[in-house]
Amino acid sequence: MSLTHPIPLPQAGEGTLPSRRTTRVPSAAKRERDRVRVRELTGSMPSLRRLQSVAVSLAFPAVLLLLWELSARYGWLPEQILPDPRLVIQTIQEFVASGELLDDTRISLARVAQGFLFGGLAGLLLGIAMGLWPRFQAYVDPLFLAVSQVPTLGWMPLLILLVGIDEELKVTIIAWAAFVPVTLNTYRGIRGVPARYREVGQVLTFGPWSALTKIVLPAAVPTIFVGIREGLANSWQTLVAAELFASSEGLGYLMAWGRQLFQLDLVITAMIVVGAIGLLLNGGLGAIERRLQRWQVAS
Amino acid sequence: MTTTSRQRRVFSRRASTNPSRRSIIALAALALGLAVAAPAVADSTVIRLGYPGVGIDNRPFGYGDNVSVAHIGHFIEDEFKNDPDVKVEWTFFRGAGPAVNEAIANGQLDFGAGEGDLPSIVARSKGLKTKIILAADTRDPIYLAVKPDSGIAGIDDLKGRKIAQFRGTNLQIATDRVLEAHGLTERDIKFINLDTGNTLAALASGDIDGAFGGPEYLDLDRRGIVKVVYSTKSDDPAFGRQAALLVTEDFESRHPDLTARVVKAVVRSAQWSTDESNREAVFQGWTKSGIPVETFRADFAGVKLTDRLSPIIDDFFIARYRAQAERAKAYKLLRDDVDVDSWFEPKYLNQALADLKLEDYWPRYDATGKKVATGTVEQTQAATQ
Amino acid sequence: MTVTALALPPTRASTRWRAIALPLGLLVAWEVAAHTGLVRALFLPPLEALAARAWTEIVDGELSLDIAMSLARDLAGFAIAAVIGVPLGLALGLSRLVERVFGPTFSAYRQIALFAWVPLISMWFGTGEEAKIAFVALAALNPIVFNSAEGARSIPAHYREVARVLTFGRWQLLRYVALPGAFPSIVTGLHLGLIYAWLATVGAEFFLNLGPGLGGRINEGRELFQMDLLLLCVLLLGLIGVLLNKLAGLAEARLLAWQRR
Repeated sequence: MSLTHPIPLPQAGEGTLPSRRTTRVPSAAKRERDRVRVRELTGSMPSLRRLQSVAVSLAFPAVLLLLWELSARYGWLPEQILPDPRLVIQTIQEFVASGELLDDTRISLARVAQGFLFGGLAGLLLGIAMGLWPRFQAYVDPLFLAVSQVPTLGWMPLLILLVGIDEELKVTIIAWAAFVPVTLNTYRGIRGVPARYREVGQVLTFGPWSALTKIVLPAAVPTIFVGIREGLANSWQTLVAAELFASSEGLGYLMAWGRQLFQLDLVITAMIVVGAIGLLLNGGLGAIERRLQRWQVAS
Repeated sequence: MTTTSRQRRVFSRRASTNPSRRSIIALAALALGLAVAAPAVADSTVIRLGYPGVGIDNRPFGYGDNVSVAHIGHFIEDEFKNDPDVKVEWTFFRGAGPAVNEAIANGQLDFGAGEGDLPSIVARSKGLKTKIILAADTRDPIYLAVKPDSGIAGIDDLKGRKIAQFRGTNLQIATDRVLEAHGLTERDIKFINLDTGNTLAALASGDIDGAFGGPEYLDLDRRGIVKVVYSTKSDDPAFGRQAALLVTEDFESRHPDLTARVVKAVVRSAQWSTDESNREAVFQGWTKSGIPVETFRADFAGVKLTDRLSPIIDDFFIARYRAQAERAKAYKLLRDDVDVDSWFEPKYLNQALADLKLEDYWPRYDATGKKVATGTVEQTQAATQ
Repeated sequence: MTVTALALPPTRASTRWRAIALPLGLLVAWEVAAHTGLVRALFLPPLEALAARAWTEIVDGELSLDIAMSLARDLAGFAIAAVIGVPLGLALGLSRLVERVFGPTFSAYRQIALFAWVPLISMWFGTGEEAKIAFVALAALNPIVFNSAEGARSIPAHYREVARVLTFGRWQLLRYVALPGAFPSIVTGLHLGLIYAWLATVGAEFFLNLGPGLGGRINEGRELFQMDLLLLCVLLLGLIGVLLNKLAGLAEARLLAWQRR
């Protein structure tokens, strides 16, 4: 079928499609009737429908869990490749009870917080500077672009030589991981403030400081926030990698321990926590980001 | 509704003729083929040995045990040199014992050549099916190397310090025993998991206060970069570590004849390497790893080659493994009990000893470490000294 | 912020000068520092040393092999991810059922930081090539699936209406509406996937190193305190990343040329 032939479209007022076509598509009226029927059957309870959708979304993970349990019971895969799920649950319980999991999580989060604060702040400052002063940006941008093309982890060996393998390494590389996206997005956000906003500031004879705080920054906030979210996600990713390499505590350390001592249940436990925290960070910041974008008038 | 001629072309073309889509598919197929292409399945059998360690800057050479001697001297390759359809393949794992475990678990290795006691015990507790067929090294000491200005003079000063240790290797269990004897546990020390290469770098740059390890640090000690303040040689020799030649049950059941010949080759190499008159030659061979010969001389000072490199599975060797397994469980390095007794399979070793007429060559020790039989190798003398 | 209407716009020459001023200045400072011993030669080898090292490594050493191996892993993993990811993403975006059944699981998988998979992958695949390629594929899968799904989801309504009017079957819907409609997002996803794949390649070699590759050389440079090798390889890392990015961008521009929005 080619689109070069004109197609007879139903004219306004015509309720049905040309009869020579088999009505594969139910008419709008029929669909509405079906919808009503479904609503009657489910008692038109939104909570029940939500339960339905929750059940559907859990179906696939449930199947996976079932396969996992069966595999462990019947030994489809050796236990070094796939440990018994009950062992994993037991491990989680043990580690939560002994407080170790909480400790390691806390330490990992603290590292991210520290690094992200440094990197984010530095990124904000640089981004603002680059956004406000085109001259400055012209000088700095090429270098920044060049340096930011190297993946964050590519700097790790160099950093190890310069700052060692301890906390300084982790905080520094996490800070760098946050620095790049925050800078880029802050800069873009500030540049993206429409000219007419600034003109309003001129009309109202705002000084540079007022213009910055009352017009430019608020307008740039949504984009800046995208940078913050990306920066935090980046920081978290980098933390896991940095802790895997050389540390004596933290979630990455737990995973390394599990790997060295062939305890996959420990690795899975740590991965679950890492995923959960990632979810919280992304989800939480995502919600805030959507909030922020709501009040932003579509330009 | 009209469409541009370009759009018509895109819409009307099938996916297989659309050039951009076709090139993506072709690239994908090519890359997939490259990635998945396994080496041509020949009729030959490949004997895959994995050695848990690498030399300086990742050189594929080992040291300190009799399997490394077998590798350097090509003893196993010589055994099969008249068999064109048997190939011998060595892989050296930077990740040491744990990495060898992973490879065995994935069916990528047939022999763990010189795998340490702890990693093989851990693997066995997780159901990895192997058999110990030969002792690779026994009574292997560990050393504590520290930064010269760290103020650490012995084990007792380690509390709260940053010490590197390669987790999961037989180093860990040996360290734990030493700590226990001095009233410390792993929790009292800030242990950082680093492999040997990274540890050497970290010691040299002062990132850590000290490290537990093998003879790798003796050279740094000689050069004054670190100080070796403790060695199990001067402490209880029960604190030493062991390593063995393991074969997967799968390979053994499929090729018992090849297994026997591999054992025979290593026994032959051990016959050479425990002969004191070859002492210097053994050390020189190990320098292929990049570690200087003085290190080995120091490591073996006051020790006979046969004390460390004897391939015999005697009661002492078995007792050591039993003790390590029990200790590993106590230190929570593994969860389940490990059945050590059914793990050993000395029949290939005994066969090789009979074939090579070496039954009395090596001394044997009982479970407490007392010598119960002398060996003729003990009469050999070092060429110099 | 006042706009001085009288300020002259920067000329071409002066913008170009500004662009290279800082990098040039840094390079000069580097040379000076390295030569005058301001910074220990151990830590900052002069630029000629880097160039010399590059020469020896390529001519006498195996640097070209390392680069080739890294690229091979990168592309292999990327190809696998593309072959699996695009259909998966399209399915997620086009079918409500698929979205509801597999969507949450995929979201959960996306939340796990990439490098958290390293220990699992090393235990499931060992430390050989399969492990590294699997890791790269895993990394690239993320943006490819996500963007393909987004693209499929955001096919303009009137495309679908046209399909309904023409009573397209499933297969025709896919070929004439879904694929072209989602194509821009798919291409964006592939572009991102290529970037992620390169990042994962380097990371994989760092943590799973066995065999030739750029990551292994970087490690070597670090352990042997050979700053020239280390800096050279980091530079190559960045350059190859930029190159891949540029190539992907060019391909993207060409592939999307027919879509003049």
